[in-house]
Amino acid sequence: MTDSTAQCKTGLLGCLGLNWFFRLLSSSIGQKFVMGLTGLLLCGFLVAHLAGNLLLFVGAKAFNEYAHALHSQWELLAVAEFGLVILFLAHVYLAVSTTIGNYRARRDFYVLKQSKVPGRIIGANSWMFASGSVVLGFVILHLIDLRLGLRSSLHYLPETDLEAPFKNTLAALSDPISRVVYFVGVIILGVHLSHGFSSAFQSLGLNHPKYTPLIKIIGKIFGVIIAVGFASIVVFVPGMWR
Amino acid sequence: MNHAASKNLNLTLKIWRQAGPKQPGGLKTYQVSGISTDMSFLEMLDVLNQQLITSGEEPVAFDHDCREGICGTCGVVINGQAHGPDSGTTTCQLHMRRFKDGDTIVIEPWLAKAFPIVRDLIVDRSAFDRIIQAGGFVSVNTGNAPEANTTLVPHHVQQEAMNAAACIGCGACVASCKNASAMLFVSAKVSHLASLPQGQAERSKRVLNMVATMDAEHFGNCTNTGECEAACPAKIKLTNIAQLNREYMKAALFSKE
Repeated sequence: MTDSTAQCKTGLLGCLGLNWFFRLLSSSIGQKFVMGLTGLLLCGFLVAHLAGNLLLFVGAKAFNEYAHALHSQWELLAVAEFGLVILFLAHVYLAVSTTIGNYRARRDFYVLKQSKVPGRIIGANSWMFASGSVVLGFVILHLIDLRLGLRSSLHYLPETDLEAPFKNTLAALSDPISRVVYFVGVIILGVHLSHGFSSAFQSLGLNHPKYTPLIKIIGKIFGVIIAVGFASIVVFVPGMWR
Repeated sequence: MNHAASKNLNLTLKIWRQAGPKQPGGLKTYQVSGISTDMSFLEMLDVLNQQLITSGEEPVAFDHDCREGICGTCGVVINGQAHGPDSGTTTCQLHMRRFKDGDTIVIEPWLAKAFPIVRDLIVDRSAFDRIIQAGGFVSVNTGNAPEANTTLVPHHVQQEAMNAAACIGCGACVASCKNASAMLFVSAKVSHLASLPQGQAERSKRVLNMVATMDAEHFGNCTNTGECEAACPAKIKLTNIAQLNREYMKAALFSKE
C-alpha cells in the first residue's frame, strides 16, 4: 500500500496531501498567524481608503474623478473587493473562534484580579474582541450606506450621475445616525489598531530587539493617524460643503 | 542578627476553600495575628494551618516543595496577582514585609480549565507534564558524558538557551493570562532546545507535537498582553513566544513532519 492510498482514508484533504494545511489552520498558532496576516493586509486597505477619502477635503471634482477612475477599473476592483471580503471574513471568523476557545480555556474568573504589568490599568489588548465588534458594526452600516445603497432615507443619486460619488457620500455623512456610528467606529478602530498592528508582528513571529520597539511606536501612531484621519472627514466634511 | 526592623502583623485572610474537584468552592475569611514580617508567605499559611488544626478545622491545602524559589511547586494568586505583588518571585520567596498591619489578603488557586482544582489552593498541573512528554526533551545516547568541547556553542547562544531553560513550570503564565494560555511555558522549552545543537534533530517534530498537545489540553490562545511575562518568576520573555510562532510556522510549512 502506498502512502497516498493510506492518506485517502482520511478524506479529501488527505488525498490531496493537505492534512498538514488543515493541522496548521486548526492550531492555535496557525490561527493567530492568519489573524495577524489578514489584520496587516486590512491595514494596507485602510491606508489606501483614507488617502482616497481625504480628497473629500479637496472638493467634489477631485473626489468624483478619483471615484470614477477607480470604478472604471471594474475588473481589478471586483478582484480587490473579493479579496477584501475574504480577508475580513477570515479575520472576523478567527476572532470569534479564538475568543470562544479562550473563554473556554479561562472558564473561571478570579474574585480579585490585578495586572502585574507595571503601570497598566486598562489596555487596548484586553478589549480586541469588543473593539473589533464595534468596528464590525460600523463597517456593516458603512457598507449598507455607501456600497450597497440600501438606506432609502439617504436619497441616493443614481450611479450613472457624475456627481453621485460625492453627493452620496455627503448624504451618508450628513445623516445623524451614520455620523455618530462612523465617528465612534473610527475612534474605536484606532484603539483596535493601537494594539493590533504591533501584535500582528508578534503573531507572525517577527520580534527583534532592533525593530520591535519601533514597530510598537509605529502601531500607536498608525492607530492615531487612522482614527484622526477618518474622524476629521466625519466631523468637518459635511459642514464644509453644505 | 538584627531583628529591629521586624514587627508583627495582624491580617485578614480570604482564602479559596474547596473540598474536592467537583465540590463547590468559595472564599472563607480567617484572622491571623502576630505574623512576623520576616516570615515567608508560606510560613504565614503554616501559622494559619496550625491555628486551624488546633481549633479542629481542616487545614488549607496548598502545594509547596523546595521553598527556595527553584522547584515551581508553590504558586497561588495573591490579591489578584500570580505569586503576589513582587516581580520575578515565587510565592515561597514572597515575604510578609510586603504587607502592612491590618491588610486583607485574598488568596485563590490558579484558575484554568487545563488546571482543575484538586483541593483548596492545589491544582492539577499534569497538563504541563503531558506537553513536555510530547516533545520537551532531546533523545541522546546514554553513557559517559561527551568531551566538553566536542560541541561548541557560542556564549551568547548559551545565555539565550539558559534564559529560556530557567522556566520552572509553575503555571503562573497560565494563571495570569486572561485566556489561560500556556504559550510562555511552551515557548520557553521550544526556544531553549531550538537554540542548542542537541535540540536540532527533533526540532520540527518537537514544536508541532508540543503545540498540538497544548491545544488538546484546552489552553487558550495568545493575545500578546504580556501578563504572563510580568507574572513569570523565572522572567521568561515574550520574545520566546515570537520564536515559538516562527518555529511552528517553519515546521508546519517546510518540514516533512
